[in-house]
Parts: sequence; structure tokens; C-alpha cells
Amino acid sequence: MQITFTREQEDLRAVLRGFLAENSDVRALIDGEGGHDPHLWRRMAGEIGVQGLAIPERYGGAGGTSAELCVVFEELGRTLAGGAMLGTIGMAVPALLASGTGGLQAELLSGIADGSLVAAVAVAESDGSWDLPRPATKACPATGSFLLEGAKYFVPDGMVADLFLVSAATPDGPALFAVLGDAAGLSRTAHATVDRTRGLARIDFASTPAWLLEMGTHALEEALDHGRAALAAEQAGGAQHCLEMAVEYAKSRHQFGRPIGSFQAIKHHAADMLVAVESARSAAYYASLAPQEDPSRLSIAATTAQVCCSQAYTHVAAETIQIHGGIGFTWEHDAHLYYKRAKSDEVLLGGPDWHRDRLARLIGIVEEDTDD
Amino acid sequence: MTDDETFRAALREFLDEYAPGKAPRGAAERLAFQKTWAATKFDHGFAGPSWPREHGGMDLPFTQQVIYNQEMARFRVPKHPGTGWEMVGPTLIEHGTSAQRERYLKPMLRGDEVWAQGFSEPDAGSDLPALRTTARRNGDHYVVAGQKVWNTNAEKADMCFILARTGTRESRQDGISYLLVDAHAPGVTIRPIRDMADREHFCEIHFDDVRVPVTDRVGEENRGWRIARSTLGHERSAGALTQAAFYRRIVDELIALARARGAHHDVGVRRRLADFDARVRVMGVHAARTIEAIAASGEPGPTSSISRLYNSTFEQELHEFAVDLLGPYGLLTKDDAETIQKGRWSTGWLATRASTIGAGTAEIQRNTIAEQVLGLPHDPAMPKR
Repeated sequence: MQITFTREQEDLRAVLRGFLAENSDVRALIDGEGGHDPHLWRRMAGEIGVQGLAIPERYGGAGGTSAELCVVFEELGRTLAGGAMLGTIGMAVPALLASGTGGLQAELLSGIADGSLVAAVAVAESDGSWDLPRPATKACPATGSFLLEGAKYFVPDGMVADLFLVSAATPDGPALFAVLGDAAGLSRTAHATVDRTRGLARIDFASTPAWLLEMGTHALEEALDHGRAALAAEQAGGAQHCLEMAVEYAKSRHQFGRPIGSFQAIKHHAADMLVAVESARSAAYYASLAPQEDPSRLSIAATTAQVCCSQAYTHVAAETIQIHGGIGFTWEHDAHLYYKRAKSDEVLLGGPDWHRDRLARLIGIVEEDTDD
Repeated sequence: MTDDETFRAALREFLDEYAPGKAPRGAAERLAFQKTWAATKFDHGFAGPSWPREHGGMDLPFTQQVIYNQEMARFRVPKHPGTGWEMVGPTLIEHGTSAQRERYLKPMLRGDEVWAQGFSEPDAGSDLPALRTTARRNGDHYVVAGQKVWNTNAEKADMCFILARTGTRESRQDGISYLLVDAHAPGVTIRPIRDMADREHFCEIHFDDVRVPVTDRVGEENRGWRIARSTLGHERSAGALTQAAFYRRIVDELIALARARGAHHDVGVRRRLADFDARVRVMGVHAARTIEAIAASGEPGPTSSISRLYNSTFEQELHEFAVDLLGPYGLLTKDDAETIQKGRWSTGWLATRASTIGAGTAEIQRNTIAEQVLGLPHDPAMPKR
């Protein structure tokens, strides 16, 4: 197993880190709408080409791989400035690529690559579950297209998306559809959520026209696993940044006449945080890089990464608040933003126990079809 | 074929023909078995993957050291007898005199002479620089007096490598010398200590005015501390994949056991099993990252510093869970007629208590990580490092 990044990928990391340090403003983000900054979005497309990194060249992208995405999401995770990037390039792009090579896919991918399309994936419904088999949202065949009826919940970046990829049930079973943001009968309601760096929305469909991308759940499942790998990288990056904040604070904050970081009580917390951070990085790299050697590893690697990274990020973010003491509990300090993001990442694409159950099925601890 | 593939093929051919299979019962038989295997490797040019050829080693590039460890693990060959070849061996290669290298290295590698470490003392555990065993200079030899403890496999040892005080009582790490001591010399008494898992794997060693030639001092007098700290080398890093592969097998065996007993129908059980499975995968990635870091830059990188903490916690929790899983059967020893898998899980449950104590406690490791990797300030109440 190769777990290394190329020189070019490390260069990309450096460029993006510099760009985000200079241009991202998480404070403006949490006071704005849904954690998305349209101006930053266009600049990331125009100046760095982030949106097109893993889109094939024939659709106007750079033809990169999940390794580039891993670097991107690790850096975005550090700053909480990703906006709609997770939904758009983490999930919608792989969904479109996996669902076929039709004219519709080509057009949408080109739009994403040049930064003009923000895309969201809408799967969960009122029960909050990311399980795929039976969506309650209905797709009724109509002339030349389908009409959607139903509601999707917890749609990341639902308030700002120009394009939705929606799972819905047809008379012949579940399928994946593309719906434009300004389609008739589509309405959006923002969820008021604790994590203001990532906006979620409820999307209602009332006879909303939709284009069929693919029958079945294959493309969507693959896209969600790519999304989980991207999310894992984001979690690793966020955890790494938390650890850096905590260590810097422990070096500079003095009590009892010495830096608090010289006390073993703090050192042992910090050392355990490093174990968690490095484990999150290992898990995230595994999820992004192992499937390049062997695509059949994607599901196991992505689910493994979600088990490890969710736990690591939540732990590290909580310890970061603890090490900061009172100041860490204030609105003014950024620690709470990471703590909230850690928890919202944890539940976004299936929580740790959901993933443990899934891993148990994937590796044969229990048979695939057991529900007990 | 690439060089690596050619090497792997040659190694497999050797192992196919010579790997010795299952170990015999009984301590003496087992030692003889280990020594025979070490000699077989040596005589066929398959000993000491990282050692220079002039000392009987293979001088392999790092990628092939990794392959070497993988294949040896795959064939489940016996361990090298004693703790010499990956501890004092590299130290002698780096700091020894040519006479010391000539005298000791080949017999160590061939398993003809078994080595044991003598660092810890009853009053110098985590605070090793407080050690009190003395080596008094008397002409062309030292007179060594004191006690060492927790010396793995010392009852089998022919030679010991020890740290002894040659400076003043207060000199701490600036008054320690690194000595090679004949374990059969007059005045050396080695007693096994029974551990809580009912095994006799480690010992205490008493030195009662033992004469050690000055020519058996490694490095300068009072400069032994630094040499001891550089001992670890990269052998352990090359072995990192082996450890991950080892735990991979243990987790698979635990999953199979749980399924065989129908325990996997319990959602709590299967979540724990899945969690261990995820963690053992991450352990494999840690190892791969460590190995790639060494191959790329010569330095093992951050994953090597956290791996011991990660792995020791992992193996403790894994065995605790296995015992819970088996209920009352989990506490049966190998001597019970109803024992499960020869009591391996109860033995492992007890034995792994040492994982966070031996070779540096987990607390000392955390201090080291915090200061050396994260750069947190030294505790002013502690002695200088």
C-alpha cells in the first residue's frame, strides 16, 4: 500500500494553504448564509482550479485523482472554509462520473469545473438516515422527464446549490435524478443548525421536473463513499489545526509561574491528541489512496475512515476547548467552531455506530442482509 | 523482475526449504530450536537484514528489509534468541571497537551467543539516569556491583549489555558507561521472575564484584547514556509492518471465534469487532507511512512516535474485550479441560498489562511525544534530560 503524495500534490497543498490563510474568513462565514462564500468560490475556481481538479480533461477539468481531493479537503478542514466544496466536488462530481457519460453529465461537469455550478446531494429524509434502499420521495414518469414529490432533509449547502442530485423512488425502484435549483415546485428552508460553518437545508419537491441520471443506487453509493473519504480528510485537517491551536496556547499561557504546557496533565492530553490526529490522517489517506490501487476497497476504506476520523476529530476538538480553559468556551475563540464542525461531520454521512454496523457487514462479521 | 521481486523470490525459496515449523515444548528445547534457526539463516546468508556484510549481515536496502520482515512473519519462523541483534548489535556496529565487532557480532547474529539487556534497576525505572549499579575502575578492568531487573530472557543469556555508574553518585546521565558483561562470569547471578501471567520471561541480575575488562566498554567512559539512547535504530521501524500484520491476524482470529460462538449476533459485540478491525487497518497505514518516511528522508516521521502508544492501547483493549466476550470461559487457563484456544485470550489479557509499562511506560512516552514532537516545554521540576 502506497501512502504518499507526489511533489505536485504537496505543491497544491502549499498553494491552497497560503490562499486560504490570506482569503478565507470563517467569522464572516458564520454570520453569512450557510457557510458558503460565493466570492471565494469563484476565486478558488479561477485562480487554483479547485473545482475541476478531479474532473476529466474532456469536461474542462484537470484530470486529477482522489489524492488531490484529499489534499484539498485536508486544507479546507483546517480553515472550515470549504463551503459547498464537499457536496460539489466531494460527492456530486463522483456521482455524475459514475452515472454515465451522457450529454447531461458532460454539461453539468463542465459547469462545476468552471465554478459556475454549485451542486448538492440530497439523500436523507425526515428520519435523518443515509441508508439508500427505499426513498420516500417519489419520481413519477412524465413526458421526457420525471416529476418529483417529497422532501429531503439535512441537505448540505441546500440553500446555495444550483443543482441537486436527488435519490427518489420510481415505479421500477430507486434512482438518481438531477434537479436544477430554480426548477418549478422546488422550495428551500434553511435548518437552524449548531454548526454555522456548514449550512443544511430542507428541500421540498412539488411536481418538480427532474432528469434521470441512473436507475438503481450504484452511482450514489459510490459518490457517498467518495464523499466519506473527502469528509475524512476534512476531519483530519480540522483535528490537526485544533492540536496546533492547543499546543500554541499551552506554550504561551502561564499559570503557577510557568507555561501550562510544561505540566504533565496537559502534556498527556496533547500526546493523546497527536495519536488521534495521526490516526485520523492515516485513516483519511487510506480512504483516498487505497481505492486508487484497487477500487473494490473504496467502501471498506471509506467506512473505516469515518469510524476513526469522527471519533478522533470530536475528541481532539473537545480537548482543545479544555486546554484553552475559559477562553475556549467563548464565542470569540474559534475552538467552538471546530467542536461543532467535528460533531456535524460525525453525523453527516452516517455516524460511527452506523459505520461500525456497515463495516461488520462489509467484512463479513455478519451476513450482508442481517437486520438484527 | 525488479530487484525487490528477485529478492522476495530467493527468500521464499529459502524459507520453503528451511522454515522449521512449530516450536517444541519446554524452555530448553525452545531455545535450542531458536538457536538452530538463527544458525540456519546465518549459514545461508539470510541473517541480519540491516547489518553490514562484513559482520555476517545482508546490508539490504530499506525496501528489502521490509520484505524480509513480511516474509519471515508469513512463514511464522522463530524469533531470534535473546534481545541482542536489534539492540546491542547496531550499537556495536556504530560505536564498538574493531576488536569488539570482531569478537561479538557474528556469534550474536548466528545465535551462538545469546544476549540480554541490563538497564533498569529496582530504583531506576522510568528515571533510568538514577541507576546505581557501579563499575569501579581497577587497572585494566572494572569491578561491577549492583542489581538489574526486568531483563527479558536473561536466564538464557551468555552475555549482557548493561549501563553502570562510573561517575559520581550525583552524575546522572553524565556518569554512565556502557559495558558488555559475560553472563557466566563469577559473581553474576540471574534469577527468573514469575510474572502475573504465570510465565518466567524476565529476570533479575545481581552483580557481586564482577570483573569486566576495560576493553569491553563501548564508547568512552561516562559517555554510555547517549550510546544507549541511539541503540534503537531503524530495525523496529522495518518491523512495524510485521506488527500490523500480526495484529491483523489476531483480529481475524477473534472475529472467527466470535462467529463460531454465535456472539456476532449481538450488536454490541459486532460493533466492537468492527471497531477493532478499523483500528487494525489504521495500524497498517501507520506502518506504511513510517516505512515510506524512512525510505524518502531517512527519518521515521510522526507515525513512528505514536505507534507504540497506539498499538499497546489497542492490544490491551482487544484482549479485555476477548475475555469479556468469552464470559467465564475467558478466565480458564490452558490447563483446564474446557479451555478455549489453550487459554490464549486470558494469557494475552494478563500479558498485555505490560504493554504500557515495559520499554518506557505510556506516561514517559507521552512526555517524550509532548516535548520532542509537539515542542511543549520541559517540566522545570524534573531533572534535565
